[in-house]
Amino acid sequence: MRRSRIKKYTLAVFGIILAIFWISPFYLVLDNSFKTKKELFTSTIGLPKKIQLGNYRQAAVDLGLGESFVNTILITALSILIIIIFSSMSAYALQRVKRKTSTFLFIFFTAAMLIPFQAVMIPLVAEFGKVKMLNIPGLIFMYLGFGCSLGIFLYHGALKGIPQSLDDAARIDGCGRFRTFWLIVFPMLKPTTVTIIVLDIMWIWNDYLLPSLVVNKQGMRTLQLMIFYFFGQYTRQWHLALAGLTIAILPVLIFYFLVQKQIVKGIISGAVKQ
Amino acid sequence: MASVKMKNVYKRYDGGVTAVSDFNLDIEHREFLILVGPSGCGKTTLLRMVAGLEDITEGEIYIDDKLVNDVQPKDRDIAMVFQNYALYPHMSVFDNMAFGLKLRKIPKEEIKKRVQEAAKILDIDHLLDRRPKALSGGQRQRVALGRAIVRDPKVFLMDEPLSNLDAKLRVQMRTEISKLHQKLNTTFLYVTHDQTEAMTMGTRIVVMKDGYIQQVDTPQALYERPSNMFVAGFMGSPQMNFISAKVEKRGDEIHLTFGKDDIKLPEGKAKKLEMSDYIGKEVILGIRPENIHDEALFLESMPESIVEARIELVELLGSETLLYMVVDNVDFIARVNPRTKAKTGDIMKVAFDPNKIHLFDKDTERTIIN
Repeated sequence: MRRSRIKKYTLAVFGIILAIFWISPFYLVLDNSFKTKKELFTSTIGLPKKIQLGNYRQAAVDLGLGESFVNTILITALSILIIIIFSSMSAYALQRVKRKTSTFLFIFFTAAMLIPFQAVMIPLVAEFGKVKMLNIPGLIFMYLGFGCSLGIFLYHGALKGIPQSLDDAARIDGCGRFRTFWLIVFPMLKPTTVTIIVLDIMWIWNDYLLPSLVVNKQGMRTLQLMIFYFFGQYTRQWHLALAGLTIAILPVLIFYFLVQKQIVKGIISGAVKQ
Repeated sequence: MASVKMKNVYKRYDGGVTAVSDFNLDIEHREFLILVGPSGCGKTTLLRMVAGLEDITEGEIYIDDKLVNDVQPKDRDIAMVFQNYALYPHMSVFDNMAFGLKLRKIPKEEIKKRVQEAAKILDIDHLLDRRPKALSGGQRQRVALGRAIVRDPKVFLMDEPLSNLDAKLRVQMRTEISKLHQKLNTTFLYVTHDQTEAMTMGTRIVVMKDGYIQQVDTPQALYERPSNMFVAGFMGSPQMNFISAKVEKRGDEIHLTFGKDDIKLPEGKAKKLEMSDYIGKEVILGIRPENIHDEALFLESMPESIVEARIELVELLGSETLLYMVVDNVDFIARVNPRTKAKTGDIMKVAFDPNKIHLFDKDTERTIIN
């Protein structure tokens, strides 16, 4: 009895330490985004003496918030939409058509996850440049390519848990393959879809490297690219950068808290008999 | 009218496996036809071919004299009930039942009317707003039936619809499906591996093995006059007892001998056997458990068909008792009156009802005499 209580407290202490580690970056970003530039360097950990909301105003102006925010949303939303459409339909075909080629293609798709992005980025951008597919359309197209592997992998696993007899029932009810998928199978993949949406939002929304290589037009820059402009060669406007970061993090955080239940469901779906 | 005709139907898979071979069958309007056989005998494949879910390798399938080989499942005017119900989990019971009708662009009012009618027949009208997840196994099965009923199809196809239910519910649903057949007055094609279901529900039964039809007949005829050893063994529970015996002719009499036991065949059967050339040869003797008796009255009246048995186990079932026994090193089961005095370990005399003896060819396993 006593031993189990000690164990419980030890675990709690570890948990708290871990939570502090975890939360501290968020705290630092949020805390310092309300300070003046000078205060930021003299008291980095302490709370701000006076909340500088002006930082946010200035950051919004410097970021070109309206434009970059819209660009980021557009890129993220469109990329995820087509990743979902393409990867769910491909996974459905690969899982339901039982041929050797299906297995081969599936392995091919999933193996692509192992290729590090950095290994292909230079030739990729060069080739896309040649066919004039840079900026937002090119970016979305590239995200589709990079995002489909994980999408297909997750959907393929989830589809195994959806009995073939549902497809059969839908066919007898009058559905063709297309409608069977969209009206019957796809709604059942909801937990997986949410998981993919969350993972991809965190990836695409926060991505800096790929947009920095692909986007070269002024009006097409994303939030993450704009934040980088706070770090000039001679001046580093930390207070504005941190305010900008807070603006950039917030939508993802809110979304994550809203759907976290679904994510867990998606990850454990199929693990136990319902 | 809804008849189903199958002509020389074959199903071969890419790997060279033949699931159904040379299948010929005429199913008449309003028939409740049961396809029964062990797993892997091709019965489900055949049902799926009728449904249009599986391509036909060779042969022709007609529904109402219309060749349907290349007709899409939705255009065949059939409805199917699946083993695992196959309800759409994200739709309510009402939407599950209405889905097929909506796709056929039937007016909303009509859909509502039909769903409510079907729900009433199946006693699920209070569940229409629920999702399948919130239903019990039996209720889900009713919804699956309801989904088939609302379509008002020419032919109902059922693929082991009761095998996911517990024993009690299965018996209850069995009678309900039979009643439904009488009420709807359409053709039912029902697949099962459970011979009890087959015997109790079907107007005709097709026994299949390895993709071939073994016998097509009414339940009674299948039970009493099986065409071969497989059918004899498959239909009936506990199954028919088999033992190898030699046919001997002694004067006018025909005897079957096995070990130190000897059974005299009644005149009618003896005459039939005499005409064949089995005299002096080995055959397989088959006798159903209920035709082995241990009561004194039977032993007295059948003195020429008594054998000695060692009782291995006595199983009381309430209305009857099963005796697991050994006769000449072969296991037998007898179904006797529960008042039997037999005890485990007893060596006792039992009588085979000679009129109920079946004889099978040892090589071909075909029936010689029923």
